[in-house]
Amino acid sequence: MTTSLADHLRTLPDESLAALLQLRPDLVVPVPADVSALAIRAQSRVSVARALDGLDQFTLLILDAARLTRDPEGGGTTTESILAMATAGPHPPAPTTVRGAVNKLRALFLLYGPEHDLHVVGGVDEVSPYPAGLGRPAAELDPRAAAVCADPAKLRRTLLAAPPSARAILDRLAAGPPVGTVPPGALDAPATGEEDVLPPDLVNGGAATGSPIRWLVEHRLLVRMSAVKGGGTVELPREVALLLRRDSGPLGPLRTSPPLVSSPPREAKAVDSAGAGQTMEVVRHTEALLEALAAEPAPVLRSGGVGVRDLRRLARGLGLDDPTTALIFEVAYAAGLLGELDLTGTVTARYGGDQQILPTGGYEVWRAASLAQRWEQLARAWLTMTRQVGLVGQRDDRDRPISVLSAEAERAGAPAARRSVLAVLADLAPATAPTPDEVLELLDWRAPRRARGREAAHREVLAEAAQLGVTGLGALTSYGRLLLAELTDADERGDDPLGLYSDAESGEPSTAVRALDALLPAPVDHFLVQADLTVVVPGPPDPALAGELDVVAEHESAGGASVHRVTTASVRRALDAGYSADDLHALFRRRSRTPVPQGLTYLVDDVARKHGGLRVGSAGGYVRSDDEALLTEVQADKRLEALAFRRLAPTVLITPYQVNRMLTALRDAGYAPVPEDAGGAAVLARPKTRRAPARVPVTSRSLDPLAAPRLPMPRLLGVVEQIRRGEAAARAARRAPAVVRGGTAQTGPAPAHTHSDALAVLQQAVRDKALVWVGYVDAHGATASRLVRPVSIGAGYLRAEDERTEMLHTFALHRITAAVLED
Amino acid sequence: MSGGPLIVQSDKTLLLEIDHPDAQACRMAIAPFAELERSPEHVHTYRLTPLGLWNARAAGHDAEGVVDTLIKYSRYPVPHALLVDVAETMDRYGRLQLANDPAHGLVLRALDRVVLIEVAKSKKLAGMLGPKLDDDTIQVHPSERGRLKQALLKLGWPAEDLAGYVDGEAHPIELAESGKDGGKPWTLRSYQREAVEAFWAGGSGVVVLPCGAGKTLVGAAAMAEAKATTLILVTNTVAGRQWKRELIARTSLTEEEIGEYSGERKEIRPVTIATYQVLTSRRGGAFTHLDLFGARDWGLVVYDEVHLLPAPIFRFTADLQARRRLGLTATLVREDGREGDVFSLIGPKRYDAPWKDIESQGWIAPAECTEVRVTLTDAERLAYATAEAEERYRMAATARTKLPVVRALVDRHPDEQVLVIGGYIDQLHQLGEYLDAPIVQGSTTNKERERLFDAFRSGEVRTLVISKVGNFSIDLPEAAVAIQVSGTFGSRQEEAQRLGRVLRPKADGRQAHFYTVVSRDTIDTEYAAHRQRFLAEQGYAYTIVDADDVLGPKLPTID
Repeated sequence: MTTSLADHLRTLPDESLAALLQLRPDLVVPVPADVSALAIRAQSRVSVARALDGLDQFTLLILDAARLTRDPEGGGTTTESILAMATAGPHPPAPTTVRGAVNKLRALFLLYGPEHDLHVVGGVDEVSPYPAGLGRPAAELDPRAAAVCADPAKLRRTLLAAPPSARAILDRLAAGPPVGTVPPGALDAPATGEEDVLPPDLVNGGAATGSPIRWLVEHRLLVRMSAVKGGGTVELPREVALLLRRDSGPLGPLRTSPPLVSSPPREAKAVDSAGAGQTMEVVRHTEALLEALAAEPAPVLRSGGVGVRDLRRLARGLGLDDPTTALIFEVAYAAGLLGELDLTGTVTARYGGDQQILPTGGYEVWRAASLAQRWEQLARAWLTMTRQVGLVGQRDDRDRPISVLSAEAERAGAPAARRSVLAVLADLAPATAPTPDEVLELLDWRAPRRARGREAAHREVLAEAAQLGVTGLGALTSYGRLLLAELTDADERGDDPLGLYSDAESGEPSTAVRALDALLPAPVDHFLVQADLTVVVPGPPDPALAGELDVVAEHESAGGASVHRVTTASVRRALDAGYSADDLHALFRRRSRTPVPQGLTYLVDDVARKHGGLRVGSAGGYVRSDDEALLTEVQADKRLEALAFRRLAPTVLITPYQVNRMLTALRDAGYAPVPEDAGGAAVLARPKTRRAPARVPVTSRSLDPLAAPRLPMPRLLGVVEQIRRGEAAARAARRAPAVVRGGTAQTGPAPAHTHSDALAVLQQAVRDKALVWVGYVDAHGATASRLVRPVSIGAGYLRAEDERTEMLHTFALHRITAAVLED
Repeated sequence: MSGGPLIVQSDKTLLLEIDHPDAQACRMAIAPFAELERSPEHVHTYRLTPLGLWNARAAGHDAEGVVDTLIKYSRYPVPHALLVDVAETMDRYGRLQLANDPAHGLVLRALDRVVLIEVAKSKKLAGMLGPKLDDDTIQVHPSERGRLKQALLKLGWPAEDLAGYVDGEAHPIELAESGKDGGKPWTLRSYQREAVEAFWAGGSGVVVLPCGAGKTLVGAAAMAEAKATTLILVTNTVAGRQWKRELIARTSLTEEEIGEYSGERKEIRPVTIATYQVLTSRRGGAFTHLDLFGARDWGLVVYDEVHLLPAPIFRFTADLQARRRLGLTATLVREDGREGDVFSLIGPKRYDAPWKDIESQGWIAPAECTEVRVTLTDAERLAYATAEAEERYRMAATARTKLPVVRALVDRHPDEQVLVIGGYIDQLHQLGEYLDAPIVQGSTTNKERERLFDAFRSGEVRTLVISKVGNFSIDLPEAAVAIQVSGTFGSRQEEAQRLGRVLRPKADGRQAHFYTVVSRDTIDTEYAAHRQRFLAEQGYAYTIVDADDVLGPKLPTID
C-alpha cells in the first residue's frame, strides 16, 4: 500500500504535488528526502489526523463511506459504491455534492488512485477506528455473533424481541460510537425478563429489574470485548448497527450543508449600538483596573500568577464579578499594558513575593489614544492571546485553584478556538444572533474533530466576545467583522517581517477603528454644573477636560457620561495642585454650559480663603527682636546680604543658614545677638575653648613611687584566706584519684571506668553517706574533680554536699565522667 | 447615535437632561421602572434598581419594553451587559406566586420548580413555609405573608402577590368636593388624583409628595376610594387633630365617625387616628395597644410621615399584608437606611413628583433658601477650638453670635409670619427672650400648643420659636419665613421638613424664605452642607451670604 501511494505520487505532475503540499503544509516540515518519504509521512497518524481535523462533518462521512465500501481483498473502492452508500438513506444528498467531497478527499490524498480503484490512506483507520460510528463486522468480533448476523430474518426477530430498555441501549450504540462501558455487575445480574430467578424481596417489596446488557450479550447482539471483573466494554457488531440504521441510511443522518440558524436577525443598528456601549465599558474598566494596579500593584505568587485575594480586591474596586475582572486583567496583560517589576532587595511581608504586576510604559501611550484605538488594541490582544481565561477560578489536576496569569490557564489552541467561533458568526448574515447552542452545532458540523470536547471553551469565547463588545446582542458587530477580516488578511499575507502592511506602524487607523469611531460618542469639552454641586459631563470628556475634572472634583458615576461632585476636599486638592480661586472660577465659567451656582462660587472662595491659612516651611535660623527698626536695619545691612534674610513677621527674620554662621556674621557686623535654644531660653555662649582629656596631676602621687604600699589589716587577712583556700583546693586536687582527674587519666591505660560504674558508685555512696570523688566536665568542657558527699540522685542530677565549702552542688549526671569512693 | 435626552450610566443610573425637547416624554417613559433619585435644575438622576424593575414587572411592563425605552431615548450606545442585566433581573420576578388556593388558603406556587426548591432550602425562609402540597406548591400561613415576601425579595426571587386584599368593613366615605357646611367647592389637584390612582392600581404603596402639597387629601381620596374603615397612623396628637379637622372639612365624614387613639383618648371608630407613640408604648415589656390593629376589620391603613415609622411598627405591619396600606411622606430618606423595609412592607413607591415641578404648577410656594454664615467671636472660636469632640456641634450651633443675626432676619420681614426653629432648648429660650416670642417645645401641653398655633395662624403672634416638635405635621399655612438655628446633626429629612413648614401656598402667591444660620469654619457648616443635600438634589439652590451682609446695610460699592 505504501509503495502504491508512493508510486502514485511519483506519477503526479509538479503542480499536483505542490497543490498537495499547499493543502497539507505540515508535510514539508521538515522537507522530506524523497517521494517515498513524503508518502510515508502523508500516511502517518499525525499528518492524517491534521488533515481530518480540518474537514467538515459531511466530508468525513463520505470518507467513512469509502472505508466501509472497501473491497475486503484488494482494499480498493470506487466512487460509484461510495455514491451508492451515501445515497442509500431516506434523504439522499445530491450526487454532485458527494462527488465534490470525494474530490476534496482525493485532493488531500486521503483517498488516492483512479475513480474505479480508490484507496484510503493507511493512517485513517488508526486515527478514527470506527467509520461512521459503526463497529467491526461480527465476523471479526465473535463467531457466535457472526452466526446470529448471518441470518437476517433471525436477527430482525431478535431485535424486535428486545425489551425497551435493551432497545434504548442499542439505539444509542447504533448512533455511534459503537463501544460502551458496562457498569460493574451488570453482566452478573439476571437478564431482563429473567428476574424470576431472584428470590422475592420481602423486606422492601417491589419487583426486581433485570440487566438489559446481559440480555443483549446473551442474545449475541452485543459482543463483550474486554472483561474486567463484573464490567468491561461491549461493542455493537456492524451488521446490527446497519439494521438499526435502516431509517437514516448506513452513514446515519447526512447533512450536506451547515445547520441553519433559527433565531431571528437583529437590527444591525441595535447590535452595533450594544456592542459599542460594551466597548466603552471594557475600555473604562481596563483603565480603572490599571489605575487600581498603579495605586497598589499586585504581587506575583511564587507559583506564578496573581492570587485570588488580589483579584477579589480589584473586582470589588471595579464593581465587577471575578471572572470579568480576570478577563480584563488577562487581556490588559496580553496587550502589553501590564508587566512585572522585580522588587530587588526588598523584603515584603506579603506572600513573600518578589515581583509585582503594574502598568507598563505602554499604558501611557494607550491612554492617550482614542477610545476606538484603545479598544482595538485590547480586542487584538484578546484574539491572539494563548490564554483560556475561563479556567481561572477552576481547579487544576492537583486540585489547586488556577489563578490569573498563571501557567495553568495557558492554552495554545485558544486563538484558534476564538477564530473558529467568530468565523462561524462572521459567515452568517450580518446581525444574525444565533444562540450559543446553535453556534456549537455549527462548529460541530464545520470541523467535528476539532469541536468535540471543546464545547466549554467555545461557550467561553462567546461570553468573552460579548464582554469585550466584539459581539452585541449575540451577533457580530460591524466593526468586529472588520477587525476579524483585517486579522485574517494579515494571516493570509503571511510573513510580514518588514511590517510593510501593518496598520499599527502606518499610524493610519484601521477600518475597524474608523467604523467603531463612528459609533462612539464624540468627546465633549463642557459640563453642566448644578446646585447640588454635581458636575455632569454629558459624554466622554476630552482628555484636557478629564484632567481638569480629576483635580477639581470627585468622581461619582461613569458610563456614557460622567458625574462628578465638587467637595471641600476636591477644591482643596485643586488649590494644592496650583490652581488659584480665580483659576477655578474661570475654569467653571469656561467649561460650564449652565450658570455656575452661587453655592459653588462661595465654596471655592471659602476654601480658598482658608487654604494656606497655615504656612509650613523650614529655615536654618531666625533673628527676632521687639525692635522692628533694628530688624529693618539688619535686613537692609549690605554686609549681611549673604545671609539672605527674609522677613517673616515685623519682628522675625529668617535665614536658610545655620545659627553659628549667622551669629558670627552679625557679630562681625557689629550687632549684639543672643542665641536661643528650641524652648526660647537664651543660650549663654562663652567662647568654647579646646581641651585635651583630663590627666591626673603629678602632685597627687606619693612621693616615692617605688615604696611598697601599706596595707590595712582587714585586707591582709582577706589575702591570707584567699591563699589558704587556694592551697586547700590544690591539695584536694592532688588527692583526687587518677581516674577522676580526667585530663591525666587518659594518658595511661586507664581502667574502663564507664559511666554506669560511676552511677553505681554514686548510688552506693548515697546509701552509705560516704565521700566520693566525682570527676566531671564543666560547662566549658574543662574537666574538674571534687570531693563531695552525695545527697540524692534524681531527674538526671546528682545533688551533693561539699564538706569544705559547705555548699550543695548539683551535677548533671551526663557530665559526670567518673566517681571513686574516698578511701 | 440618536440625540436623545437620556444617558445610561454603567452604574445603572440614568441621567435625564431636562432642557432637551424630548425630556418630558422620556420621563414619562422611564418613570414606571426607574426611581427618581435627584432632581436638580439641569440633569435629573434616575436609578435602575431590582426593586424598581420588579415593580415595573408587577405593573405589566416587560423587559423588552424597558430595553427598548432605554435604547430609544439614550443618547449614547447602551452597554450590552447592562441590557442583559436588566432583562435577567426582570426575569426573576414572578417565578414564584403567592396565591389563594380554594382548598389550602394562601400558597406559594412556583412556575419554575428549581426556584422553589432553591428558596425552600434557604435558611432565611426557615419557619415561614408550611407543608409542601405538591412539587410546585407550598402552603403558607397568612400571617407570614409579609415576612415571606420580604425574605423572598432579599433572596432575589420576588413573588408575585396574587392573593389580593381583603375589602375590610365597608363604610361610606365620599370626598366633599362641592363644599361642606357652606365651604367653598374645591377639586383634587391633578397630581393628587394621579397619586391616588397610582396607589389604588397598585394596591399598596408609598406616595411621595413635597411638604405642603396636600398629602392629607391624598389620604382622604384613598379613603373615599376604599370606602371602608380606616386606621390612620400619625406622628403626634396635634398632627392627628389636623387630620381630623381636614377629614371633617373635606369628606362626608362627621366628627362622630372619627376616633382619636392617643395618650389622652382611646376611641375606636370607623375612622381611627392613632399615634405611633401610643402604639409603641410598652408596659412590662409588652406592647399594650397592639389590639388596635385587630380591633376592627380595617380596609385601609394610612401611615403618615412614613419615613419616621418606628421599628416595632415595621414588625406589626408585616402581619397586615392582606390590608391595603398607604404610606405618605415628603422625604423618603431615612438616616437609618431602612428605606428598603418601607418599600417591602408597606409597598413600593407608587408616586413621586419633583418638588420643583409642583412649585412651578403653583401648588407649593416658591422658596428662597439662604444659608447665613456667622463668624464666631474670637472668644467663641477659642472655646470651640478647645471643646471636646462631642460638645463641638452644640457649641457651634448655639453660639450667641447667632442671636443678632436671627433678629436682623426677623426684622427683614416685618410683615411676615416667622418661625424660628432650633434643636437646643437653652438656645430656644435665649431666642425667645431675645425676640420676645413664645416658645413651643416638647414639654408644652397639647392645649397650649394648639392655643399658640391658633394665635400664630390668626396673626396674633408674629414670631414663634419652636423646637423639634415643629419638624412635622404642623399645618401653619401663614408661615412664610423659617429661620433654622440648629438641628439634629446632619439630618437631611429634618431640613426638608422644616422647609416644608413654609411651603404652603400663600394667598397672594408671595415667596417663602428659608434661612439657616450656621457658624463659619465649624462642624456646623459641614452638617449644614449634608442637611442641604436632599433639598439641593430637589433643585433648591442655597445662596450663601455672610452675616455681615444681613446685619448691616451693604457697604457702598466703589466703581
